[in-house]
Amino acid sequence: MSGLLPEGFEALEPFAGRWAVAGTATRAAGRGASSAEERAAFYAAAKDLLVPALTYLDAKPLTELSATENRLMDMMLSLAHVALAVEGLGDDEPRHAAMRQHMRITRSPAGA
Amino acid sequence: MNNLAPTFRPVPAEDLAWLGTGPIPAAPYYDPAWYELEREAVFRRSWLQLGHVSELPEPGSFIRREVEVLKASVLLVRGRDGVIRAFHNVCTHRGTQLVEEESGRAGNFSCPYHRWSFATDGRLLSAPDFESFGLAKEDCALPAIALEIIGGLIFINFAPSISLREEMGRFADWLEKFPCAQATHFSEYVYEINANWKLTYDNFQENYHLRFIHPRTGGAAAGEDNPFGYPVKYGFNGPHRTQTIWTNPNVKPTPLQAISFGKGAQFAMADGLAGPHSRDYLALFPNFFVIGTPAQSFSHTIWPLGPERSRGVIRLYWKGVDDCASRRYAREYALASARDIHAEDRNVIEAGQRGLSSGALKHIHFQTQESLCRHLFNNVNERVQAYKAQLAGGVA
Repeated sequence: MSGLLPEGFEALEPFAGRWAVAGTATRAAGRGASSAEERAAFYAAAKDLLVPALTYLDAKPLTELSATENRLMDMMLSLAHVALAVEGLGDDEPRHAAMRQHMRITRSPAGA
Repeated sequence: MNNLAPTFRPVPAEDLAWLGTGPIPAAPYYDPAWYELEREAVFRRSWLQLGHVSELPEPGSFIRREVEVLKASVLLVRGRDGVIRAFHNVCTHRGTQLVEEESGRAGNFSCPYHRWSFATDGRLLSAPDFESFGLAKEDCALPAIALEIIGGLIFINFAPSISLREEMGRFADWLEKFPCAQATHFSEYVYEINANWKLTYDNFQENYHLRFIHPRTGGAAAGEDNPFGYPVKYGFNGPHRTQTIWTNPNVKPTPLQAISFGKGAQFAMADGLAGPHSRDYLALFPNFFVIGTPAQSFSHTIWPLGPERSRGVIRLYWKGVDDCASRRYAREYALASARDIHAEDRNVIEAGQRGLSSGALKHIHFQTQESLCRHLFNNVNERVQAYKAQLAGGVA
């Protein structure tokens, strides 16, 4: 346990380097650049922690989150992108990623 | 047997026959000469959606927008009096573009060339050695462009003949009830495409293609008794049009889709965004449409960049800041899922453009459930023909 994430979410620490990413466009690009194995492993580890993580983070205003809490937040935001690939597109994701590159994210409340 | 969902029945052909049923000429979708006519006949004389009030939060807030189809640079400014105005972004001295920044806040605007200085309401405030011109300052204000705000959306018109509110009729009241009317923030993604603006726009006003182009991402839009996901109804008012999106009673969301959209729906309900037009799509002539879905309301503007090139700007509207993790997450998912679907359309639209631009076809065809596409062409054609007649009569 390295203290990268809040207590109770240690299982996600091996994935923090890849998926604790700031910025909506960067997260979308991270999904596009990842392998099917990376997405599947992150999704499998994180999907059941989504609701607990949001419930935990909702206890504070976003502006008051600590560094570890912000890291968890960013990972859940990455999960939003990854889930679309794993649950929806499956083996069509590589072809889809090439098409998505043309859709440039220019604005987001979470920071583009 | 009482629990059976009502059987879907598509809008019958006879209800839409007034729009015509014949083939549509192909040349207007690629011909440079036709495009030149559209620039004047359609874009210079129509209300164009250019921004949202949330982009101009304070007195002095400004945004610069390029309207390439008219070679115009437009400055949208909230004045000290709180009023939002539109101006040509040109110094009245010798035409220099006044503002280079895309957005910001300013007390006045000073031309980089000779320092003519303009107020946020467009008045010329000062100019070095102004006495040498023999002009009155009152005659040197920034050129104003007509502007109207409906549903929080900013529209401009370079040569208006009718107010937008009057032209829209009942649709203006509708738009005031769409989520964009209450929005304070938005997400945005932008794409460029090698395709005519009408061909691009048409993709987003027919559902005939959904099952073929969006088999995995658009599942909710089609069902057993409505395999193409056709709309429940259509409506028309002048050059504007609407469709009511069909609700599939048998949608089976994926696990995180259920959680994510569920959270988005909870926030939308709590924020009072569910209104009478939650399933309505409103298309405003010539190049804008907006969908009233409470949790994922988005608009799409398609700007012509040339006869065979366009830019799409898609915005999802939000009420209030991201005040908690769940709200931020729900918005991220809504953005990513909408973008997934839109990304799938671009390639096939470009393929259509390549076919049309080859000149192989003299005509294209619209079926009954592509009537919104026909309505757009009819309105463009009407304006182009009237403009051509004006030119021929020497009164353009």
